[in-house]
Amino acid sequence: MSNSEKNKNFWKSLRDYHDDPEVLKLKANEFTDGVTDDFDPSELSGLSRRKFLALLTASAAFTATACTDYRDKGEIIPYNKRPAELLPGTPNYYSSTCTGCSSHCGIIIKTREGRPIKIEGNPDHPINRGKICSKGQASILDLYDPDRISYPLFRRSKISWDKVDSEISGILKKAVETGKEVALLTNSVFSPTQAKLFRELKTAFSAVEFYKVDAINNLTKKDAWQACYDQMPLPGFKIENAQLIVSFDSDFLGSEGAFIENSAAYASARDVKTNGSLSRHYAIESGMTMTGMNADYRLKMRPEAMTEFLAALVNEVIRKTDVSDEFFGVSFKGADIASIAGKYNLDKIKVEYLLSDLIKYSGKGLVIGGDHLAKDDHILINLLNELLGNQAQYDFSKSYASESFSDVRSLEKLEEGINSGKITAVIHYDVNPVYTLPPAYKYHELLKKVDDVITLTTSENESSALSNYILPINHQFESWGDYYARNGVYSLQQPVIMPIFNSRQREGILLSWIQGKFRFEAYHEYLITNFEESIYTKSGSTLSGKNYWYASLHDGVVSLPDDQITLKRFNIAVLPSEVISTASGISLVLKPGFNVYDGRFANNGWLQEIPHPVSKVAWDNYAAVSPKFASENGLKNNDVIELISDEFSIKIPVLEQPGNDDNTITVELGYGRQVCGEVGKEVGKNAFILVGKNSDKRKYVRSGVKIQKTGDTLALASTQEHHSLDDDSVKDIHLIRNIIREGTLEEYKKDKHFLHHEKHEIFSITAEQEYSGLKWGMTIDLNKCTGCTACITSCNIENNIPVVGKDQVLRGREMHWMRIDRYYSGTPDEPVISNQPMLCQHCDNAPCENVCPVNATNHSPDGLNQMAYNRCVGTRYCSNNCPFKVRRFNFYNFRDHFADAYYHDDLFSLLNNPEVTVRSRGVMEKCTFCIQRIMDARSEAIKDNRTLKGTDVKTACQTACPSEAIYFGDLNDKQSDVAKHVEHDLAYHVLDYLNVRPNVTYIAKLRNTHSEEA
Amino acid sequence: MSTVDYSQELSVVEGRPSLRELDDLISKPLESKPDKKFFIAISFTGLMLLTGITALGASFIYGTGLWGNNNPVGWGFPIVNFVFWVGIGHAGTLISAILFLFRQKWRTGIARFAEGMTIFAVITAAMFPLIHTGRPWLPLYLAPYPNQHSIWPNFISPLLWDVFAVSTYFIVSLIFWYVGLIPDLAVLRDKAGTKVKKTIYSIFSLGWRFSNRHWQHYEMMYLILAGFATPLVLSVHTIVSYDFAVSIMPGWHATIFPPYFVAGAVFSGFAMVQNVLIFIRKIFNYEHIITLKVLENMNKIILLTGSLVGYAYAMEFFIAWYSGVQAEQFTFINRAFGPYAWAYWIMISCNVISPQLFWFKKIRTSIPIMFVLGVLVNVGMWFERFVITVTSLSRDYLPSSWAYYTPTITDFGILIGSFGLFFTLLLIFTKTLPVISIAEVKAVVDGAQPTHKDH
Repeated sequence: MSNSEKNKNFWKSLRDYHDDPEVLKLKANEFTDGVTDDFDPSELSGLSRRKFLALLTASAAFTATACTDYRDKGEIIPYNKRPAELLPGTPNYYSSTCTGCSSHCGIIIKTREGRPIKIEGNPDHPINRGKICSKGQASILDLYDPDRISYPLFRRSKISWDKVDSEISGILKKAVETGKEVALLTNSVFSPTQAKLFRELKTAFSAVEFYKVDAINNLTKKDAWQACYDQMPLPGFKIENAQLIVSFDSDFLGSEGAFIENSAAYASARDVKTNGSLSRHYAIESGMTMTGMNADYRLKMRPEAMTEFLAALVNEVIRKTDVSDEFFGVSFKGADIASIAGKYNLDKIKVEYLLSDLIKYSGKGLVIGGDHLAKDDHILINLLNELLGNQAQYDFSKSYASESFSDVRSLEKLEEGINSGKITAVIHYDVNPVYTLPPAYKYHELLKKVDDVITLTTSENESSALSNYILPINHQFESWGDYYARNGVYSLQQPVIMPIFNSRQREGILLSWIQGKFRFEAYHEYLITNFEESIYTKSGSTLSGKNYWYASLHDGVVSLPDDQITLKRFNIAVLPSEVISTASGISLVLKPGFNVYDGRFANNGWLQEIPHPVSKVAWDNYAAVSPKFASENGLKNNDVIELISDEFSIKIPVLEQPGNDDNTITVELGYGRQVCGEVGKEVGKNAFILVGKNSDKRKYVRSGVKIQKTGDTLALASTQEHHSLDDDSVKDIHLIRNIIREGTLEEYKKDKHFLHHEKHEIFSITAEQEYSGLKWGMTIDLNKCTGCTACITSCNIENNIPVVGKDQVLRGREMHWMRIDRYYSGTPDEPVISNQPMLCQHCDNAPCENVCPVNATNHSPDGLNQMAYNRCVGTRYCSNNCPFKVRRFNFYNFRDHFADAYYHDDLFSLLNNPEVTVRSRGVMEKCTFCIQRIMDARSEAIKDNRTLKGTDVKTACQTACPSEAIYFGDLNDKQSDVAKHVEHDLAYHVLDYLNVRPNVTYIAKLRNTHSEEA
Repeated sequence: MSTVDYSQELSVVEGRPSLRELDDLISKPLESKPDKKFFIAISFTGLMLLTGITALGASFIYGTGLWGNNNPVGWGFPIVNFVFWVGIGHAGTLISAILFLFRQKWRTGIARFAEGMTIFAVITAAMFPLIHTGRPWLPLYLAPYPNQHSIWPNFISPLLWDVFAVSTYFIVSLIFWYVGLIPDLAVLRDKAGTKVKKTIYSIFSLGWRFSNRHWQHYEMMYLILAGFATPLVLSVHTIVSYDFAVSIMPGWHATIFPPYFVAGAVFSGFAMVQNVLIFIRKIFNYEHIITLKVLENMNKIILLTGSLVGYAYAMEFFIAWYSGVQAEQFTFINRAFGPYAWAYWIMISCNVISPQLFWFKKIRTSIPIMFVLGVLVNVGMWFERFVITVTSLSRDYLPSSWAYYTPTITDFGILIGSFGLFFTLLLIFTKTLPVISIAEVKAVVDGAQPTHKDH
């Protein structure tokens, strides 16, 4: 290297080259102004180089490890602008109204991060008072049902809403112009705003006529009331005040009407542990129902004979009591108690008791009739109440509101209109008449004669299958609405989620036809306007209209002043002249499906899998016959018979139902859907085929039915084994083993401690664990439990319990953490039924815990039997060693397994409760006493700086129980309800002699029977 | 009979084969190429094994739901098979250790084979606790190792005792078997034709040179191991029985279970050994080593243990009645007359009634009849485990949860597979190792031991 090269002078600019003084100055001062001056490390953030490096490594490590196995491979979208009312991790609650049936119960919808996850009753609602049935709770599954239609269809191909709107408007206009008719088929309307909308539709398009097609209603009852008193409304009942309840083929605790309300009232009259007294309940029924299963006395009788029996009772009452003059001389010829008892093989002693009690409890009793009875029967029931002075139990403050829209025509007119060609288009307004209308109407034939069939529905059904236009409508949780089902109770419905699919609110669709264009907010505004016009003005509130609207929406319900009603005189002119039953042969009673109602819930896996409260059969309907009937006809369980009524018939499997009338077959409706989603399709058999016409005396009772053996069998999936009641080795095991402990009221009154005389002192040879702080426990009052299954559904939804399908239920692998055990005692003819909700007993000496080889199940210091899913390897030893068999094993990954990964649909993951782990295959699970609710209450308590109290927590089953049979809390808090119940004379533990020390205490059931029988 | 001289022990090996002859005879299957019959046999057992692997593979992919297990019946075929195979694994160690300590020389000819069967039966059995769990990929949770969760296995769970009991038994049996093999491996080493064989045998014979010192150490070691294995024979099935006895299920919760299970295990194990030996002695011409007398002795043990098992069945019924516990009484009535009565009566007729035929010497010494009875015993013993496991669970305390258990095709596939695994291993064993202990047989041949009478 040359020297010159070594001493090379580099210059950066010409100024530099010329040694500009400014440049020299700059060179001397390496850092320019403002760079050095402000550089004071102490003023910078406290981050040292070392700390910075540490943080850098840590964050690199976090990104490298934490996200590598992030299971959610979908997009993660942050709230970069968080909605004001939403706090991630905190649920929001909105009050609304359930439109699952015509009861229109108030509900509270729990949403998490904008998605509805749980339904509970609205405690402010005067009818259902914070409770809601299985169907209402499970309807949330329908919201996320992947089988919902996601866009409008024309002749089964996708079409835009704009096109649909213009085409249908065209149809309507054309009908108006040509003087033709467009028929709109709807269910009974209990919404004042919808009624207004219907009227406006009629104004806009005079061609529209309305027809009511709902399959299940209490119209006969209302008709009878109108006839008897020449006035409406039909009152509610004060069941809670009735000391004697006599129900005639009425399932008022099960599948009929507002059974949630009824259950609560019924249970409060049977609260022995607080009142020390019980109402007495006689059930006269054809099939074994939930109501009959709870009754103190039960008489079986074919449905057609009820008239004669009622008439005979009236005769006796008139003979034995001083009736007022107007009834003097009322007598039904030929109706005689003794001859009826002989004719229908009734227990004479029971009939005697019934008669004497009716008279004894005059003014304090109540006679209730079932919805499917004939009008005459209801008239006689009204008369009986009138004669006995039982009007005191009529509750006019909760009377049934008349329908908001009554300008409807009869189905005969529809038939006529279509046949004559006057009706050119039919609109199915959220109804499924092709399925529900009796085949006698030949409705599907009629539809072929109509040019356009427009079906508004959430998912495909039998009616949409025959339609050219199918318009997807919003689920009830995506809709606005108002309902007036009971007088004085106006309840509001609000959407809690934006429509998931490209669907529109059904009212909004009609509104868009009227207004000529669709606006998303249109029906919302329409509702507010109507609310302000009709409700706000009535309320007399001092709030501004807007504020009153918001307040009402918040509460979900507005109580309006009810009209004072004085009962008019009973019109004896309407009394039936012919009461003697001539029915012979086999009778068929068709009842609304306990789980699927009129078929609208058929695609709901949760409901399909709830075991029927009486038969414990899931995923099917069946012909329930008495064991005697079965043996006489050579039938066994699961034998498929052909049920023939007139020219119609269905093939259906038989189930021997102890307690059924020997001449009556009972079948539930709502099954056997042909066009339905994946779940409900062809589950069970469609019994609507056998329903009679509206004009029939008893639409849901068929006389002179024939049966024919087919030789086929169909396995019914029952969650409880059917063993014969005659088998001596099995008979009454539940009583012998102290699983069910029962007594009579008399026994209890004589000796309050009668249950515990034979108690053995059990001691442990090892030291017992002390529970000094909180100790969780539950009590279940068997006097109050009616077996309605609301708790099971609530538990399923709260705890992300999978649906497993019929094949798995058949294998005995249902996953329900809670079940209601049903035990028969007595004889197959006259069974006595005991129900028992069964769930993890959280035993102090839990036998499951010591056998788990990996410590996956263990005990918490507050007395919970815990399950660590991650640790579980699935030996199933815990389940084997559980004497209550309440543990449930994931034999498959049920979310993938069921019906070709049906459950795996993305939509269903939205439904999961984020506070509860979704369990994987091979893991054991069981009731946790809603640990997530306990932890939530605990963190609330910590936040408020107070100690957690037992009453802070309510389990899912407890909140759902309509009869308040379940209590939960701290057993160590001696002032609490649970602790008091545990000390009660009637309290007992199931299998107490095993010394597993359960923390679920049962209150023994007492039956209010006559002491002579005790 | 008058010719029998009771003043001296009967010879256990018939004839007076020379020591060299014994070497050749016993090592013959190892030195000859497998014949057609062997291939037919192994392809049959291999097919069975494949069936099992398929069934098991499906269960791993889809889940335990492929089996018949349901809610009350948490344990089905896998646990039944487990107990059955552990039971089969009992005869070997009993023959080689306990009978050794009792100086029962007739055991010499069958000890090695029976031990081999023990090893394979325990391997087959040990598979079941691992595969029967819902999440078989997590077996380490059962192992006590320090981990970041600070969770230990639950030491009061009988299933964990099982893990230790079976693994201990397996390890000790394996060592015992191997130690017994060392002198024979040395013989084979010396006879080995190919270099590969020689190397392998050299490694495993641990430099055995038949020196006096070796024999001295060997005998002592063998005695110690026999002493060590003896309590294990009793403990393994005792602990397996705790799986049931420690629970609170009626029909399981019984103090008679440990002796009852051990007796049952010996019963089925002997029947299985007897069954297989009938073939082995015929095929390999060992009739003079595994004599009819040996088979007869085994049948006597089957008769004894069969009667013990029968006594246990009767005693269970008696105790159920005597306890006054309704659930317990019901369970036993239900076993005999309930929905699983068919299984119960199969068990009774196979386990209690049929072995009683062994009272007759004619039957005891008739090979076809004893074979059939041996098969029946194992059928019966499999059903015994089925009856205990399934009937108790299917109808326990709460009638509401009772349910009938029906096994599926997968269950049967795994059962067949377990037999396939066992017999495949057994077939491979006959072609790789001496199925009779050369060294021990040599020691019991007439004239092998110095006496003051002969020589």
